[in-house]
Amino acid sequence: MIFFINSIMQENKSGIEFAQLKRIELFNDHNVDYRLVVRDWNPRLHPTTRAADVPDRNLINMFEYFQNAMAIEDHPQHLADLDFGVLDTHVEEEATRFLVYTTDNRLVARVNVSGDDKVVFSTELFDGFGNLYRVDYYDTRGFRSLEQWYTPDNKIGTEVWLDPDGHAVIEKFYRKSVHEEDGLVASGWRLTDRTDGKTYMFDTIEELTVRFLDDLNDEYWSLEHPNVFVLDRGHVADWGLLHLRRPAYTVNHLHNAHASGQDPMAPVVNNNYEFTLSAIDDYDAIVSSTHKQSADVDKRFHPRAKLFTIPVGVVPDELLHAPRILESKRTFGKMVVFARIAPEKQLDQLTAAFAIAHNKFPEATLDLYGYEDATNKFEAKRKVEAVIKKNHLEDAVTFKGYTTDVDTAENNAMLYGLTSNMEALTWPSWKRLPTVSFQFHTTSITALTKLLRTTLTAG
Amino acid sequence: MYYFISENVFGRNSGTEHAQARRTRMFNAEGEQAFYVSRNYNPLLKRDLESVKLAAKESINMYDFFQGTLAVRRKKQNLRLLGEVPLDEYHVEAITPNYSMITHVGREIGRINVLPGTVGLTMDVENRDQHNNLVARENWDWRGFKSSIDYFHPDGQVASRSYLSQDGDPVLEQLWMDVDGKRQPTMWKLLNYQGHDYRFSTEDQLFLFFLNELTKQDSNATLIADRHTLDYVVADVQGTKAKWGYFHGVHSTKPGKVGKGSILPVYRNILEQRADAFDGVLVATEDQRADLVTRYPHMDVRVAPDTAIAKTHMHKEAKHPTVMFVGRFGPDKRPEQALQMMGELVKQVPDARMEFYGYAPDEDTMKRLNDEVTKLGLTDQVQFADYMGLGELSKEYSHGDVIVQTSIAESFGMNLVEAMSYGIPAVSYNIPYGTKALVRDGENGYVVPDGATKQMAAKVAQLLTDHDDWQAKSKAAKETASNYTFTRAMGDWRRALK
Repeated sequence: MIFFINSIMQENKSGIEFAQLKRIELFNDHNVDYRLVVRDWNPRLHPTTRAADVPDRNLINMFEYFQNAMAIEDHPQHLADLDFGVLDTHVEEEATRFLVYTTDNRLVARVNVSGDDKVVFSTELFDGFGNLYRVDYYDTRGFRSLEQWYTPDNKIGTEVWLDPDGHAVIEKFYRKSVHEEDGLVASGWRLTDRTDGKTYMFDTIEELTVRFLDDLNDEYWSLEHPNVFVLDRGHVADWGLLHLRRPAYTVNHLHNAHASGQDPMAPVVNNNYEFTLSAIDDYDAIVSSTHKQSADVDKRFHPRAKLFTIPVGVVPDELLHAPRILESKRTFGKMVVFARIAPEKQLDQLTAAFAIAHNKFPEATLDLYGYEDATNKFEAKRKVEAVIKKNHLEDAVTFKGYTTDVDTAENNAMLYGLTSNMEALTWPSWKRLPTVSFQFHTTSITALTKLLRTTLTAG
Repeated sequence: MYYFISENVFGRNSGTEHAQARRTRMFNAEGEQAFYVSRNYNPLLKRDLESVKLAAKESINMYDFFQGTLAVRRKKQNLRLLGEVPLDEYHVEAITPNYSMITHVGREIGRINVLPGTVGLTMDVENRDQHNNLVARENWDWRGFKSSIDYFHPDGQVASRSYLSQDGDPVLEQLWMDVDGKRQPTMWKLLNYQGHDYRFSTEDQLFLFFLNELTKQDSNATLIADRHTLDYVVADVQGTKAKWGYFHGVHSTKPGKVGKGSILPVYRNILEQRADAFDGVLVATEDQRADLVTRYPHMDVRVAPDTAIAKTHMHKEAKHPTVMFVGRFGPDKRPEQALQMMGELVKQVPDARMEFYGYAPDEDTMKRLNDEVTKLGLTDQVQFADYMGLGELSKEYSHGDVIVQTSIAESFGMNLVEAMSYGIPAVSYNIPYGTKALVRDGENGYVVPDGATKQMAAKVAQLLTDHDDWQAKSKAAKETASNYTFTRAMGDWRRALK
């Protein structure tokens, strides 16, 4: 089996998730089986993956795997389905929650709901003395997935993941750090094996992850088709893949420049890949998305691990052959970018460049699509805002937020702007729009030109 | 059916539990179905029931009831055969006979504690984090199944307990939180009990729910409250045929002078606040009945024996003349006066021995008693035995020659009836109430004034040295005991409960 390993798969995806989903499209197109492995717990995972055309049978979340909850029927819970064990309660309704009270107006529970049909997302439970003692989280498919047990001073003391029948299968414990100022810290995990009831202790989620990958490796073991683990987010298992109990083909996928975007030989490498690159020969293969990056990795590290170049953007045939949107149907002078408003995207520089163009073409506009990175108190966004203010671009530059409807935005625009210093390969834009970009080593201008030619002729 | 209501059966039981257990056995032996009903969680309950000779089917424990494990048979769970420990990953190292360590790469990740009094059977399995903090504990039942799982607050105190069915399904959860800055259990929640959850703030609320579940299934339920801290719960039980309280002790704050003192607070619920909820009160003696009726003229007070014996036994000659003391070593029993008596006795009967059977309420008391033995120079003559179950104690009775009673007061005197069933005469202080009912001076033993250790020593010496006197008193003692055989005592109970 071929596994694509990530920590997350959110509604607000970033490039790595898009790359995985594009790859899945490609695999589907060629009838090659795969499993998308998502390590972190997420009670809203399935709506996201289903919307991205990943069926439940192709998805393996680590927690759900241990919970025996990978494929279960949907039974979303509503207030009326819940039993608090208290007679004659009355309910106050608020926008996104219900407050449940005893006859003498003591709070029994807060029930947090989402959506128009008020599906239960979590319940905050109180004892008869008014102590919040537990918060339960419900999976969107309806089962109670996580219990968070609270301490008397209102911190999480123990987290318990349940199987759909309500048995504890994973516990995460919090204890006081030896450094008092750190408060409570995760101090251990306990796993009860879903097949034989044996219990295991782990210090960290990384150890638990190795156990999980070992289980997958056993379950899908095949000499004819040995398991392939493609690691798309390094921190999930870059160490773990090197500590499997039985052999598997391990692939580390570089989704960003491995060093500075400007200098592939810069002494300090991209922190996300520091471990991978330092232990490079312990993997079976390293994948880059451009020949240039593969060559740079080869030149710098001389790995024995095999180097592959596999583009991360896959243009579906239908898009390639779709009718071109005429320039006259587009908004004149509109530039778009799809990127997190994050420091490495350098969108303040894009905005500054745009300001110059805007001087010549006052009709020009710039739409920034992407969610805001909170690093350093939203520094990236603040920098863009400063440029807007300085150049009086309030009417020309718009933060559009995250969108899933890339097509509409692109079909309405004339230009794509790219100023990121870490891109391995720009993912969506070259399929339709001329791109204005800095010259980078990894996504080289030649490559871009080539791609642009393809898109323009295709269009 | 009859339900005798108590908190627990302990490893070391007081007279109350012994009397209740014996009554349960007697009722069942005489064809009246009866249950020893207990409230507290006790994973060792089955073992403790055995020590008071009760069968599992004669007991209904609240937690057992909700766990659905009342009828589970014992299967010894060797700690090395615990299915949950992956022995291909971890080592189990025996550290002491009391516990073994589970280690991984040389570090402790858990601990298996051994059931007391067994070799290598599982009591609980602890899990420990990387800093050796206790983070989870699985409590095993004496019968060899996983009974509950505990989690802990970061301060190390227990935070929650999940009680399990034998299949491992959580059926009840208990919570510990702070109330006014004090840690205490704050919630019991039944899970999916007959399709619903039920939340309670105290254990006694749950106990009331449980008792109502019992009486709901039985249109002919008679409840007898044996632990009076629970009277207020029993008072609220619905749908019973009758409710009584049995007094295993003297009701007055001045037990030696019962007419004087005031009513002990623990009896106020049944005698005063909630008297209407009960049919009445049962006591062991006519004298106690008379005293209660003087104070509460409208109270229905009836007499029924506080103990019963299956049969009488043969007496065996011991190596040395042997004096017995049987009972808790508490201040109300005045064991130190029995020692002083012994100090006098050995002057007259140098080869006499004295054996104490019971248990001290605390280590200090035990130390004081041992110091007293040393001070009196009785180290060779006096022996304190470990607490014994009923079966073991019978063996000891068989070779006793005299039993002494030095209590401040006794509502009855189970120890004396038991001893008499082996033909052992009693020498007792003249105290309320049991002495008058059980010991007739010069007939089946002797009665001396309260606190008269020298006179007691003289009477004991006479019994130990005058064979004919001993024979006569022994015969009469056995006759007294035969009034309390199951058949006879059951007759008294039937009359009392009419």
